[in-house]
Amino acid sequence: MTSVGVIANPASGRDVRRLTSGASVFDNAEKASMVLRLMHGLAASGIDEVVMMPTAPSVAGVLRRQLATRQPPGSAPLPALRFLDQPVTETARDSERAVAAMVAEGVAAIVGLGGDGTQRLIARGCGEIPLCPLSTGTNNAFPEMREATVAGLAVGLVASGRAGTDGLRREAALHVRVERAAGDRDPVEDLALVDLAVTGQRFVGARAVSRADDLRELLVTHASPSAIGLSSVAAALDPVRRGGRQGLHVRLAPVAAAPRRVVVPLAPGVVVPVGVRDHRRIALGEAVELEPADGSIALDGEREIELRRDDRALVRLVAGPRTVDVDAVLRAAAHEPRRALATA
Amino acid sequence: MSTTTPPAVGGLTSQELLAGYRTMRVIREFEERLHREFATGEIPGFVHLYAGEEAIAAGVISHLNDDDYVASTHRGHGHALAKGCDVDGMMAEIYGRYDGICHGKGGSMHIADLSKGMLGANGIVGAGPPLVCGVGLTARIRKTAQVGVSFTGDGGSNQGMFLESLNLAAVWNLPVVFVVENNGYAEATSNEFHSSGLDVAKRADGFGIPGVVVDGHDFFAVHEAAGEAIGRARRGDGPTLLECKTNRYYGHFEGDQQTYRAPGEVEELRATRDCLDGFRAAVTEGGLIAAAELDAIDAEALAQIESSVARAKAAAVPDLSEVLTDVYVDY
Repeated sequence: MTSVGVIANPASGRDVRRLTSGASVFDNAEKASMVLRLMHGLAASGIDEVVMMPTAPSVAGVLRRQLATRQPPGSAPLPALRFLDQPVTETARDSERAVAAMVAEGVAAIVGLGGDGTQRLIARGCGEIPLCPLSTGTNNAFPEMREATVAGLAVGLVASGRAGTDGLRREAALHVRVERAAGDRDPVEDLALVDLAVTGQRFVGARAVSRADDLRELLVTHASPSAIGLSSVAAALDPVRRGGRQGLHVRLAPVAAAPRRVVVPLAPGVVVPVGVRDHRRIALGEAVELEPADGSIALDGEREIELRRDDRALVRLVAGPRTVDVDAVLRAAAHEPRRALATA
Repeated sequence: MSTTTPPAVGGLTSQELLAGYRTMRVIREFEERLHREFATGEIPGFVHLYAGEEAIAAGVISHLNDDDYVASTHRGHGHALAKGCDVDGMMAEIYGRYDGICHGKGGSMHIADLSKGMLGANGIVGAGPPLVCGVGLTARIRKTAQVGVSFTGDGGSNQGMFLESLNLAAVWNLPVVFVVENNGYAEATSNEFHSSGLDVAKRADGFGIPGVVVDGHDFFAVHEAAGEAIGRARRGDGPTLLECKTNRYYGHFEGDQQTYRAPGEVEELRATRDCLDGFRAAVTEGGLIAAAELDAIDAEALAQIESSVARAKAAAVPDLSEVLTDVYVDY
């Protein structure tokens, strides 16, 4: 039996960026609808089962209702839908538990519906299981905005083994370890998939980084000129290809004091100048020690780690999760009949 | 006219941090003491305690000036204390004494002090939002920079007037913030059974205003999001719905047996999600405030509440001749 895991974070698309930027709202009924469309795509490859993280009624209830009513004539039978047996705490812990359970069950792929934060939680735990990150908002640099039906077709081909590994992309990640100088605080380790930034904001607080004036350092795994968010700063200086063996380290400064400035889309509807001290490429495996600072470290645009000047923070560009390259999988399927859906 | 702008995000000074902690600690001691005193039978009427939710009152109201208005709920002690109502006057009011801020005739659920911009606790569930629409309209017509903030529970958010207020505020672009304190229960009904959809904030979408969710146990998260929402209102950019996910440590009212809650639920919350513990850890580990400074505030708050209870118990009840005073206003 082939199972595909789905993590749909019901809390994504609700944070303070709705106030600090023009970020749009992504409602839970649409997330449920995305899961259903994904299942139709998976059905075409004969995937037997979809295993989902349980959520409060907003996603699960809508999905159950839709499953009971929407079955287009002529479509393949949908995979069975099963919710994992775990408590719902409505915190990040739910996603972590669900990923661990999916890995233990041996699902063939995991589809993540959520923002960069949700994808990071999945990437931390999914090991070599292929991840298909789908965006549920306008803020994101890692997951793609893609029609779920099409993503389902590609994930189905990967999960059923017909796509081989050609359509999988090895992502890079930024691993950070913070050693605490003061006695009773534990060291912290975490992962960013696109960008890691040091801000002057002392508290994790409402998490989102929406201002440029107190940014001090930025590291990116890749920098696409069409991306939105912190990585757009790097992209304006030196675009770096996704899935390559290099990242970029940028040191920033307030605009008035900076030798150079770039104007970038820092958030939806927010195009601002950012001051740059210098930048350089970093290689896979290379470690960068962050400059001592009081502030916080933001991972993929969200403050996660509070930082003191006497802490020692080391960031390393490492190999990250394997993701499904939807275009590459479907292109290969078109050219190679043994992979095509018609042979299913 | 108010011209204060909210502080920069994350830019809390030591004084602001200490003030935030003091507000939360005073509310906590006030409520913990009322929990014990109510059981003696000496306090008339009903009390609904705010313990566990302090980060919301402290985080939101720290952005307001005396001439900004707050419309509160039946669970209103925390909002009143954060808005600057006198601690002794509050305690005396709850004891029904003449020294109380409403001369003992309002009690826990009708505590109000207009001089502090506190429009009152409110026994009518969901009745705060329409009141601050009035505040907002007044501020717009008089061209002041005043802001109105209403508090509502998750249960109150299902009242028609809550949704009507969102619409009215959006249509008139009013300088208001609707704070929803979602503590998971409407009286004894868990929100799994009373609300369709996970987030109350989502209802803002239907009215074209921003809806934001923050962790209501986290002072810093509430403070930051509220600062954005209140700043937005003050600049004339319109209303915001701010949902704070929280928990209450006691029953809906004092005496509630809470059979609808899981065994150990509150103990777990107190151990892992407490707003005062979280604040203390963040500022001491961050090297911003010494633990001894917080300890001193703890001791002062305890002494202040002790003294307020002694004063309240010693104070006189209102005279019978006061029954009809403060009831009607002459225009």
